[in-house]
Amino acid sequence: MNDFSKALQISASALKAQSTRLRHVSENISNADTPGYRRKLVSFETIRSAGDDMALVTTGRVKLDQTDLTQKFDLSHPMADEDGYYSGSNVDLMIEIADAREAQRSYEANLKMFDQSQQMSAGLMDLLRK
Amino acid sequence: MDVRSVTAALKYADARPATEAKPQSDEVAGGLKSMAMDFAQTMQQGETAAISAMSSDADPHALVLALAQTELAVETAVTVRNKVVQAYQEILRMPV
Repeated sequence: MNDFSKALQISASALKAQSTRLRHVSENISNADTPGYRRKLVSFETIRSAGDDMALVTTGRVKLDQTDLTQKFDLSHPMADEDGYYSGSNVDLMIEIADAREAQRSYEANLKMFDQSQQMSAGLMDLLRK
Repeated sequence: MDVRSVTAALKYADARPATEAKPQSDEVAGGLKSMAMDFAQTMQQGETAAISAMSSDADPHALVLALAQTELAVETAVTVRNKVVQAYQEILRMPV
């Protein structure tokens, strides 16, 4: 396998990792109102294949954010305790939006790299076409 | 005069092996063969990825990657083939 196809493969692995990250962000946002929901934290890991110096990226185990759940006051809520409070989720929409935007930027960067690798290999083959 | 024609014939006989066609060397054939195998394998991967994407259980990233790899391989193969054909035509046009 040549360097161009390796570059394509690495970019594709990063695209996949970023889309997984975006999936977890959208899970967090859609469960923002679920009582007792803890937001998911995505980590990234490097895969090293044996006998090769390629460093692909993948998402690691999903961890749950262990910060305290927000206490919401609603007397009519079925899960409310005697004081009228129940535990909501610990999702902060501002953080999730920022995380989603970061995933988008990273995705775009990797798309550009994918495109660039293709253009470079096409340019190389154009040399022979004269 | 007679002696000279004999030496000319000998010289001609000597020169003949140099112009004889040699069977193709194994190196070139092996290289072309492995290249063709590699090409066929890449095409196969692209097709497999496309089929599984159509049946909607594959990652679209895998499909895009496989198609880009296939494009790269096809482009390389076509360019090399064109160059080989061009060289062959160049030889055919050579005045003898």
